[in-house]
Amino acid sequence: MLQYIIRRLFQSFLVLLIVMFFTFSLPYFQQEGILAPAYAILGTNATKARVAYWGIQHGMNHPFFVRFWNYFLQTFVHFNLGTSYKQNMTVWQIISLYVPRTVWLAAAALFLTVLIAIPLGMYQAARRNTIVDYAATGSAFVLYAMPSFLLCLLMMDLFSFHWPHLPASPPSSVAPWAMFTDPKGFILPVASLTLLSVAGLSRFMRGTVLEVLVQDYIRTARAKGCSNSRVLMRHAFRNALGPIVTILGLSIPALFGGALIIESVFNYEGLGIQTVNAALNVDVPTVLGITLLVTIMTLLGNLIADVVLGLVNPRIRIEGKSS
Amino acid sequence: MTVVTASSPDSPALVGDSIIEPLWRQRVRIFMHNKLAVASLAYVVLITLFCYLWPIFHPSNQTNQAATFNVTWNAPPSFHNPLGTDSSGFDELGRIAYGGEYSLALGFLAGLITIMVGTIYGMVSGFFGGVTDSIMMRILDAFLSIPYLFLLIALVTIFNRTTMLLILIIGFTGWWGNARIIRGDALLIRNLEYSQAARSMGAGRMRIIRRHVYPNSISNIVTVATFSIADAILFLSALGFLGLGIVAPQTDWGTMLQQGTEQLQNGYWWEIYPLAAVFILVVVAINYIGDALRDIFEVRLIER
Repeated sequence: MLQYIIRRLFQSFLVLLIVMFFTFSLPYFQQEGILAPAYAILGTNATKARVAYWGIQHGMNHPFFVRFWNYFLQTFVHFNLGTSYKQNMTVWQIISLYVPRTVWLAAAALFLTVLIAIPLGMYQAARRNTIVDYAATGSAFVLYAMPSFLLCLLMMDLFSFHWPHLPASPPSSVAPWAMFTDPKGFILPVASLTLLSVAGLSRFMRGTVLEVLVQDYIRTARAKGCSNSRVLMRHAFRNALGPIVTILGLSIPALFGGALIIESVFNYEGLGIQTVNAALNVDVPTVLGITLLVTIMTLLGNLIADVVLGLVNPRIRIEGKSS
Repeated sequence: MTVVTASSPDSPALVGDSIIEPLWRQRVRIFMHNKLAVASLAYVVLITLFCYLWPIFHPSNQTNQAATFNVTWNAPPSFHNPLGTDSSGFDELGRIAYGGEYSLALGFLAGLITIMVGTIYGMVSGFFGGVTDSIMMRILDAFLSIPYLFLLIALVTIFNRTTMLLILIIGFTGWWGNARIIRGDALLIRNLEYSQAARSMGAGRMRIIRRHVYPNSISNIVTVATFSIADAILFLSALGFLGLGIVAPQTDWGTMLQQGTEQLQNGYWWEIYPLAAVFILVVVAINYIGDALRDIFEVRLIER
């Protein structure tokens, strides 16, 4: 197992390098080249000499690979992601301020999604082609097809303006525990994000359980007289768990993407809004830093998903040992 | 008696005196059997025709902001403006058609690029296998672990947001998931007997890909293509919401929805609900067509 984890960590590191290379080369494609941020900071009327001086200050006169190597060393040896061009903060400060907020939001939504989607999908598969199944499939289709911002805005309109019970925006406190001290403000954003992910996951769960239910071991279980609920819980559920864990690990980038839209709708200062603003202001170090961080989280998520998969599924564990 | 099945899509096989209907006709029959799929297809065609033909038969000003100063802004539905006017004084019904032209065309073209690139990448990776496959898959892993919307925003801000470039950006960044699906197919098919038979007869790699792998994974390609179009429309709308969609005076459904929701609290329902209904139904319909296409290509499900 340890060997497997080490190998996977090495692979993840390679993937991270590719992402880094890709995102690092993106600014070179800007119209003004890599000096574009200079115009964003010094103003569009900045003299050429001033812009060139700014470029030298930030080491932009070096060739691409030298800059990339420096960035690599800076990131992985000094753990320094640089300083934001636009805000008077290091990228680490920005990240440590806003990551907890986004992670709280995403984690709460992920938790609720798992809690709702897995039983729902199993119920749909067990009672397929009934009214409940059709209703759930239909709403999942509509939710999936709805632009996420539209869902948020409609919920906001409904619950904050027509029936003003819930605040339209979460508290602006940056404390990571704000979710527990003032939970009312978080109901709408978390509910929106949850609904959006439930739509996809419950459909996936339904399909997976349906595939499991036609297997021979299910027939055997039924033949030896297992009750319906025992077949579902002991046999179908356990075997459907593998694909679900994998898909959960893979859904992390989508979750952050969804959080981005939800943050802008509910005006919740988090990683998403920071990224959009940084991208609009050509704040390259911030965009690079946040992208790297989210990529690391995704890779770790996938790794954890695979390790969990090995724990819940003995077949994979044995496979890992033999190879 | 053995049952002879239609072995080739183009030449009908003979069983006794009767001609077995060719495969494509069986597929059309199965598709037509699915009432909801037919309705979805009809709806998508109808909306597309509406978007492109309505402005011809009923032209309305959609780009000239100066000409809207003698029009009531946010006017409720009336005889002249069947769905009222929006917050800039443009006729809402005409604007749905006008924005739809961009949303649908962009979604379609971007989806097409997505599937073409994804298919080629996936097939090469899956078919060649070995080191090529490992390298190509690690690159894909890297792309897949960047949150897509973050990347889209970064790209859209780096380049000028012309319509053409939006198509290219969404098209050339959306294929990663598709490539992975097609690669799985190619990996499976290259180890099947008919591919091995072809190889033993001396067929080259490209020939096997063209004549065996590609035709046999067409079901996934077509299905994935449909979903890609729906996804591209959705991603374009998300960009529109963030103010990074098509540049004014042109518009798309996402930008329109965003502008409409700003008026929601004023009670100007006509600026959001008709368009929201049309938009959501289009995406639902395209997704449903995709589901139905997957069914018709599933050979095992075809009743003979």
